[in-house]
Amino acid sequence: MVEFDAIGVQSPNIAAAILKSGVLVNVERAQIDGDEGWALLDVANADTEKFIAALTGRGVSIRIQKDAVIHNRTKCVDCGLCISICQKKVFSFDENWQLVVNAERCVLCGRCAMYCPHRALSIEK
Amino acid sequence: MYKSIDEINERIRDGSVRVVSAEKMPDIVDELGVEGALREVDVVTTGTFGAMCSSGAFLNFGHPEIPIRMEKMWINNVEAYAGLAAVDCYLGATQESTIRHAEYGGAHVIEDLIAGKSVELHARAKGTDCYPRTALTNEFTLEELNQAIMVNPRNSYQCYSAATNMGDRAVKTYMGCLLAGHRNITYSGAGCLSPLANDPTFSVIGSGTPIFLGGANGVVVGEGTQSSPGNGFGTLMTSANMKDMSTDYIRAATMTGYGVTMYVGVGVPIPVLNEEIVKHTAVRDEDLKTNIVDYGTPSRDRPVIKEVTYAELKSGSIELNGEEIRCSSLSSYKKAREVAGELKSRIENGSFTMGLATRPIDALKINKPMAEKGNVRRVNEMMVSEFVTITGDESVKQAAKRLLKGETNHLPVIDAENRLIGIVTTYDVSKAFAKDEQDMTVSEIMTKNVISISPDAPVDFAARKLQQHNIGALVVIDSDRHILGLLNSYDLGDLVSGRGSN
Repeated sequence: MVEFDAIGVQSPNIAAAILKSGVLVNVERAQIDGDEGWALLDVANADTEKFIAALTGRGVSIRIQKDAVIHNRTKCVDCGLCISICQKKVFSFDENWQLVVNAERCVLCGRCAMYCPHRALSIEK
Repeated sequence: MYKSIDEINERIRDGSVRVVSAEKMPDIVDELGVEGALREVDVVTTGTFGAMCSSGAFLNFGHPEIPIRMEKMWINNVEAYAGLAAVDCYLGATQESTIRHAEYGGAHVIEDLIAGKSVELHARAKGTDCYPRTALTNEFTLEELNQAIMVNPRNSYQCYSAATNMGDRAVKTYMGCLLAGHRNITYSGAGCLSPLANDPTFSVIGSGTPIFLGGANGVVVGEGTQSSPGNGFGTLMTSANMKDMSTDYIRAATMTGYGVTMYVGVGVPIPVLNEEIVKHTAVRDEDLKTNIVDYGTPSRDRPVIKEVTYAELKSGSIELNGEEIRCSSLSSYKKAREVAGELKSRIENGSFTMGLATRPIDALKINKPMAEKGNVRRVNEMMVSEFVTITGDESVKQAAKRLLKGETNHLPVIDAENRLIGIVTTYDVSKAFAKDEQDMTVSEIMTKNVISISPDAPVDFAARKLQQHNIGALVVIDSDRHILGLLNSYDLGDLVSGRGSN
């Protein structure tokens, strides 16, 4: 997750970091306005350090997003409704029909948390 | 060969009973044959755990010192039906809180009670000579109630249609959120583990059949409401003592954008009495068919998109129009297994005995739709057939003149073949004038994505569309996009203004 302040939004920071590091990234979600913005980038684990070094600069703050989905096991009944709502394949069943959460794929859209019938999912802000 | 229920109960008592889950039965029958399986297995346990909206409970509070005949009542701000005198009520699972709305409802009150929590009762009455009290507020727990009897009018569907959405906007339904353009499929039911899938002819399940309900030992009351076993959609009315239930098997839920529902665990043990029962309990997911239907169509008879089996549904993806679409359940198969497993243990340890139905359920019955007296009003009865149009290459100034002359706020834009390609409103035109753009062409300022409707759509659907898009009129078009008329929100009157904004 990269956040830009008023200075950060004025330069082509992501493009520059890609050119500088040679690392290809996938912009999963982004919102950039005149005076601030953020972008969620998917970067291969091996390239993360290199890319962060290239992106670090004025007006940019970076944090690594890992366990973004919080799964409350007590509230969850393993119904699986989240599995098909999430298009990023964060959720799946194991062989015993128990829900497995692969939070690394999450792009923070929040749809799973909104539609979980048992309110067992939330997104870390 | 056949077995009697007494023989089975005798084996339950002496601990020699042989119980298997319905999941295991097909392989046992494959291995031992029908007769062998009849000899080997005494009881097949089934289970399901899913959203069962049509559920609720009768509660009796006991009489207070100054008696009251409650007429209106709320438990934790959820209204319960009190028209059954004097300190009784029926609390329906889907009733929503007057304060917390869809985030808390009858199902949550039921779950809170089962969890041992204290809830608040508020009641009103007119007061009579024998029941002088007119208001009462009190706290109570499940333990303090005389009776808390869950009676669920419609549980345990034999089979249920799977859902997708062919429309162009997401719909929020009791089958969960269905994404636009069939991006997901949801389904409900435990397939081969489902109680009625194992006795489709109701040969053993009937009034009085002992069952597992929400953790308690309960009973089938009889046929469920809307039961339609004649076409594969049988249901059961079930009952059990809430005081014996557990929140492991009763869970309140909210389907966002739809409302409150209750997840209920139901299990029916099927005594293996004869070969017919063996054959029925050998059902596999591959044998159980259902349809994927389009919930994007807001009508009772939703179009069928594809026939599938429960095996395909459980695989997690289904091919639709050449694409692999993610498919998932809203019922819990893990919990369904727990229900069947718990029932198996109770029979094996002698705390649950078998019984025959006292009254049969008609296995051929088919549910009827509502016979609506008076016709459903359609868009073509309410639309205005006189309207003015404009072409895309005309100027904004001409659009202004046309709007004034037509005394309308909506000006559909057409191409050379008279087909709808856009719309401009008085707002769009005023905005263009304000920005000094009156010499631009209509096509430069028009809205291209016109919200339209077909002439045979019900007006209720039109009203919902107007509200969802927050617009004043819909363009009525035929399948070739030729304009037939305009449907104005003010012509629909109460249908639009009488509803909430969501």
